[in-house]
Amino acid sequence: MSMILPIVTFLPLVGALLCLALPREEEQLHRSVGIGTALVTFFASLFLLSGLEPAKMNHVVDLAWVESLGIRFQLGVDGISVWLVLLTTFLLPIVFLSTWSAITDKVREFVVATLILETGMLGAFLALDLFVFYVFWEVMLVPMYFIIGIWGGTERLKAAIKFVIYTMVGSLLMLVAILYLVVKAHQVTGQWSFALSTIQKLVLSKPEQIYLFLAFALAFCIKVPLFPLHTWLPLAHVEAPTAGSVILASVLLKFGPYGLIRFAIPLFPHAVETVAPWLAILAVIGVVYGSCVAYAQDDVKKLIAYSSVAHMGFVVLGLAMMNSRSVNGALYQCLAHGISTGGLFLCVGVLYERRHTRKMAEFGGLWQRMPVFAATLLIFTMASIGLPGLSGFVGEFLVILGTFSAKERAFEGMPAMFESARLLSAFAATGVVLGAVYMLWLFQRVMLGPLSNPQNRKLQDMTARETVVMLPMLAMAFWLGIFPNTFLQHIDPAVTQTLTAFKEKYSAGVAESGPRMLGDSVKAKVEEPAAPGGNP
Amino acid sequence: MTFDTNDLVLSLPLLFLTVAGIVLLMLDAFSRVVLVGRDHHLKLPAETSEAVAVPPPGSRNYLMPVTVLFLLATLAIIVWQAGSLPESTVLIYRGMLQVDRFGLLVAGVCVVAATFGVISAPSYMRAHRMEFGEFYALVVFSLCGMIILIQAADLVTVFLGIETMSLGAYVLTGSWRRSPRSSEAAMKYFLVGAFVSGLLVYGIALIYGVTETTSLHDIKRIAMSRGTAPLFYIGWMLLVVSFAFKLGVVPFHMWAPDTYEGAPTPVTGFMMSCIKVAGFAGLIRLLQGTLPMLARDPFTGWTFVLSWLAVLSMSVGNLAALKQDNVKRMLAYSSISHAGYLLVGVVALGTVGDAARGPLLFYLASYALTVVAAMGVVSWVGCDERGEERVRLSDWAGLGKREPMAALLMTVSLLSLGGFPPTAGFFGKFYLFQSALGDDKLLWLILIAIANSLVSVYYYLRVITAMYFREPAPHPATTPMQSSAMKLGVLVATLLVLAMGLCPSWLSSLCAAAKF
Repeated sequence: MSMILPIVTFLPLVGALLCLALPREEEQLHRSVGIGTALVTFFASLFLLSGLEPAKMNHVVDLAWVESLGIRFQLGVDGISVWLVLLTTFLLPIVFLSTWSAITDKVREFVVATLILETGMLGAFLALDLFVFYVFWEVMLVPMYFIIGIWGGTERLKAAIKFVIYTMVGSLLMLVAILYLVVKAHQVTGQWSFALSTIQKLVLSKPEQIYLFLAFALAFCIKVPLFPLHTWLPLAHVEAPTAGSVILASVLLKFGPYGLIRFAIPLFPHAVETVAPWLAILAVIGVVYGSCVAYAQDDVKKLIAYSSVAHMGFVVLGLAMMNSRSVNGALYQCLAHGISTGGLFLCVGVLYERRHTRKMAEFGGLWQRMPVFAATLLIFTMASIGLPGLSGFVGEFLVILGTFSAKERAFEGMPAMFESARLLSAFAATGVVLGAVYMLWLFQRVMLGPLSNPQNRKLQDMTARETVVMLPMLAMAFWLGIFPNTFLQHIDPAVTQTLTAFKEKYSAGVAESGPRMLGDSVKAKVEEPAAPGGNP
Repeated sequence: MTFDTNDLVLSLPLLFLTVAGIVLLMLDAFSRVVLVGRDHHLKLPAETSEAVAVPPPGSRNYLMPVTVLFLLATLAIIVWQAGSLPESTVLIYRGMLQVDRFGLLVAGVCVVAATFGVISAPSYMRAHRMEFGEFYALVVFSLCGMIILIQAADLVTVFLGIETMSLGAYVLTGSWRRSPRSSEAAMKYFLVGAFVSGLLVYGIALIYGVTETTSLHDIKRIAMSRGTAPLFYIGWMLLVVSFAFKLGVVPFHMWAPDTYEGAPTPVTGFMMSCIKVAGFAGLIRLLQGTLPMLARDPFTGWTFVLSWLAVLSMSVGNLAALKQDNVKRMLAYSSISHAGYLLVGVVALGTVGDAARGPLLFYLASYALTVVAAMGVVSWVGCDERGEERVRLSDWAGLGKREPMAALLMTVSLLSLGGFPPTAGFFGKFYLFQSALGDDKLLWLILIAIANSLVSVYYYLRVITAMYFREPAPHPATTPMQSSAMKLGVLVATLLVLAMGLCPSWLSSLCAAAKF
């Protein structure tokens, strides 16, 4: 058994414990430990790529945790999760470096919280056991709450509590759904198991599937955030410190799509045929609505927050369409959004550190004082708009293409889901146009025009440290735009595999008379009368 | 009348604790004589007329370690006994007590929780100038009552256990004599308790009238074979009501917030954890052990009654806790809501059966430890110059800066109470809900419990918010209790809470194996 996955997952935690052992006053030391740990984790995670077989789980770890309940510590990585893991480990050193001078208060606590958060994120991306997934999912919540609440802006208390409560609403319902699934599986097989591979085989009736799907999807759609569940996001983004915003936008939001494609969609195929069209419609509303609201903002961070709502709408649209093009596009868009929006938030951080305001009206004409910064911001802006050759293009293009060419039936045997997919794609495409409008408007108001505000006259361009922070992000923005195959070669087989499994489970039909397991329908039918009534 | 010496061995934890209580009482009495004789010239604060009777501060310092040693010895006896217990149920003292793994496990939990309560007591009492040696003896005697209740196999021993347990708790609640709140708390607790005793005895009398026996085993047999009379229903309903009073279940909870708030903090921790654990153990024995056949009747079965009590308790407790600015009172209301979650577990016992007992015990243990740790931190935070406890949220502002360790430990306890992984509270809730889902009909109850834990997150986070996100008040008015024993106690309790969340296997398998 290869132990690379636990090592990658728990390295940040080790760093956090190390920080706790060091004296509080050594702030530089804590920062260095933070960056060092994050870098080591990044290099360790690069090993995941070598010899990866994207269509199956690699480096699987399977250890007993709570034997009597069938909880096993199962981790694994496939083509869907590998790039999200790498996105996480890639961003964390950048986040630490970017906060070198921004966070001066309680440095040790910041480093510890961020490293624990990294462990939570990596664990949740890698977990193959529903219990383990839930534990890591919740573990992410507390450090983020502290990051917003301690180092955030003036409304940070409200933002932090709102963030936690919103997330908890979804995740507690998801917990009930997980328990329900496990109990049902136990009634059929007589064994306790939280393993995704076991639960995947469980066949339930259609109403059950719909309720359970909604419970899972609520948790994930709050994270995405899907319109109309997005209202926590602007507040959290605006109030969080730069580091918090970057992690939130680039990684935490990705748990929404990841959870949908890994758990909600494959587990409940018959719910998907009913609910997916609604998800698609909400996603398109989110795209248009997010874009319009973003245009109306005066606060740079808020604008980018609403742009996230729009961009993540594309992701959900792609997932809901359930064809390989659109799902590939959705997952690609996750990575692209992580880089471009993360970069934009870093740029806002650069501005905020200098002027301590985020109001667009305070800026204008900064190009004259900060040419390097202006070029950086321009590239991220273009990447966000989806200019061909930059990161945003491939994902949005694939999603719109997948939606436009979506057949009425996702595959043979499914009822018609998307009679008006072309209409949806048309509306989604307006999102791209609107995106260009608000992003260029942002760029114009901050960077171009006369340098009218006297406070901006003395602004310094980016320092060497800030440039070092931006360079890898810029490189990735280009790489994602120019060599999409680097990423799609892993994502595509995994998506194909997921869709195949989906079709397989779908064609096994629903359970009319009590739950059964996939593959042994005959045997389950015989055992049926004894199973549901008896005590476990 | 025959007397089996084996009974003495089997009731060794109880006997040992009783002797320990007497020894502690004697130690205290003799230390008083000696010290007052030797140190009568010592200058005492003039403002207190009772100062003459109070020995100089610190003279009873050794009582706490002695008590802790006694409690640990009891724990060792319990562990030893659990290892050597025969598989079948053993009745001792002519069927008055029952020795089994269930009883021993719950007794062990009570002893551990009481130990942590005792450790935090001396520095608290010193700071509030309420040192008195009977404290330790009373705690130990109250524990004896709990063990009797936990091991009761007869309605008479149930009554005896509840009364012994409560008498100690009444005195402990009122033991802070200078505080009018403490007296008020004790008065309320005592009056309600006396009333409840009446209900309990009346219920026992009715059951005896119908079945002509007080033995739980005989009652079970008779109710199974002959069916039950209406008077029998009234009888057990009265028993349920009296337990509901003792456990602070809505709508029988009116005494709880005032009592928990007014009592000295270590006593509050002791009551919230140990009495709740022992009371639930008694309730489980009574309902699942004795009356399993009455569980599922529509409208009259106890699962129906208890599920509504659970809903009320969870919702009222949580909603009231939302508005509290006093941390101790907030925890009091939160303990009411936790009684509701625990009742969900009892309901599951009725519908799912034995499989639900392990989760319920795990939840009891996790709750007891967490609440003792939290109350330890409340003691730790200390008092102002006038001896007032610092329990307002505004007093806790900026605690993360002033007392980082206390704030960190409190955070873990609060997260555990709120059910966040990786703490004991999370696994307890998870395990409990999983077992309750064994019966589809309980889904609505679980959903209500889930909604309630969501509400509870808000007020637990309020405390964390105050500790970390708010700046401390300008005047450094708080005198934190500087006792390394207390700090160590809270630290160990919190580490246990984390350990139970990270590797719950050992305790959950113990709980699952705890049979009647």
